[in-house]
Amino acid sequence: MRDIIRLGLILLLITSIAAFVLGMTNDFTKVIIQERAEQANVEAIQALLTDAEDFNKVELDSIEGIIVESYEGTKNGVIVGYTVKTKPQGYGGTVEVLVGMTIDGKISGVKVGEHTETPGLGSKIADASFIDQYLDKATNLVFLVRKDNVTSDEEIQAISGATISSEAVTDGVNAATQLFEDVLKNR
Amino acid sequence: MKIGRIFTKGLIFDNPIFVQLLGMCPTLAVTNSAQNALGMGLATTAVLIGSNAVISLIKNLIPSKIRIPAFVVVIATFVTMIGMLMKAYLPDLDKALGLFIPLIVVNCLILARAESFASKQTIFPSVVDGVGMGLGFTLGLTILGAVRELFGLGTVFGVTILGDFFQPASIMTLPPGAFLALGLLLALFNKLTAKGLNEL
Repeated sequence: MRDIIRLGLILLLITSIAAFVLGMTNDFTKVIIQERAEQANVEAIQALLTDAEDFNKVELDSIEGIIVESYEGTKNGVIVGYTVKTKPQGYGGTVEVLVGMTIDGKISGVKVGEHTETPGLGSKIADASFIDQYLDKATNLVFLVRKDNVTSDEEIQAISGATISSEAVTDGVNAATQLFEDVLKNR
Repeated sequence: MKIGRIFTKGLIFDNPIFVQLLGMCPTLAVTNSAQNALGMGLATTAVLIGSNAVISLIKNLIPSKIRIPAFVVVIATFVTMIGMLMKAYLPDLDKALGLFIPLIVVNCLILARAESFASKQTIFPSVVDGVGMGLGFTLGLTILGAVRELFGLGTVFGVTILGDFFQPASIMTLPPGAFLALGLLLALFNKLTAKGLNEL
């Protein structure tokens, strides 16, 4: 019995020291990691809306469904477009989809951020060959995923073997364009 | 044992990958490019040096009954620290290796060195052993990564080596390629060192 207490106390000592060291490291690196994440975020939305020079977060009255956040992009004080971040449900978890739209109602950029889709199959949603299907299309379209040949603007060719992942990105884009049409455009 | 001997043992004669076949999970998973392999190898080396040093220092304070949990706590602490530091200072490498860094904790190479070397030696030989074994692991990973990248993409460290005439065999960068390349490299390594080992 005494032995158990002694061994337990030694383990407690070792783990306390480890926890202290880890706490210090965390305090030290936390700030840098956060700054980096913010910087990456700004760079990402800048790539989606290349016309804009400054970005300000849009305060949405109610954040619904898969919408995460939205930024308005301005140039010389005039709003030139919006970016919307959405998190639709994919095959292996949520997929981060960023959409940039110009004020005249065109999709200027789509980017797939963090996701946990199957490598080699669903992960192809981040490839240009898939993403470019949305580019320069009107924001008043409602996109639809098709497995066979696409014939019109609103149809998106699914990645073979990854229909659910393809649909996730399409859900994200649709939610973003809908937000633009319903709310952002009329601000 | 001489210090130089401890080092070369880790680097070549007891090479963790080609001789001991330890830590195969990261070996097979991250060697799809030379750069990832090198990054993973160096991160493992850092953990190995740190854990060997600390364990050799506190070996007399740890009762043998609880040595395994104590070793695991020390190793896990170093791994978590390296994970945080990489996230802060090497974000690109962190993106490529992020998933595998926590796996260093369960890399049997590190626990094996703690148990069979650092817990019986003083700090200096333990650190040398950590450097030797770590660099041996890094060397093995990098060779494997370079071979897979060369045949899978025609590049090494992102630099094109094989020109347009070469049709890349992308299977080499996929999981089956890891097994193929490792098997062939093991055979080659054994062929090259068989003579040297017999003379020892």
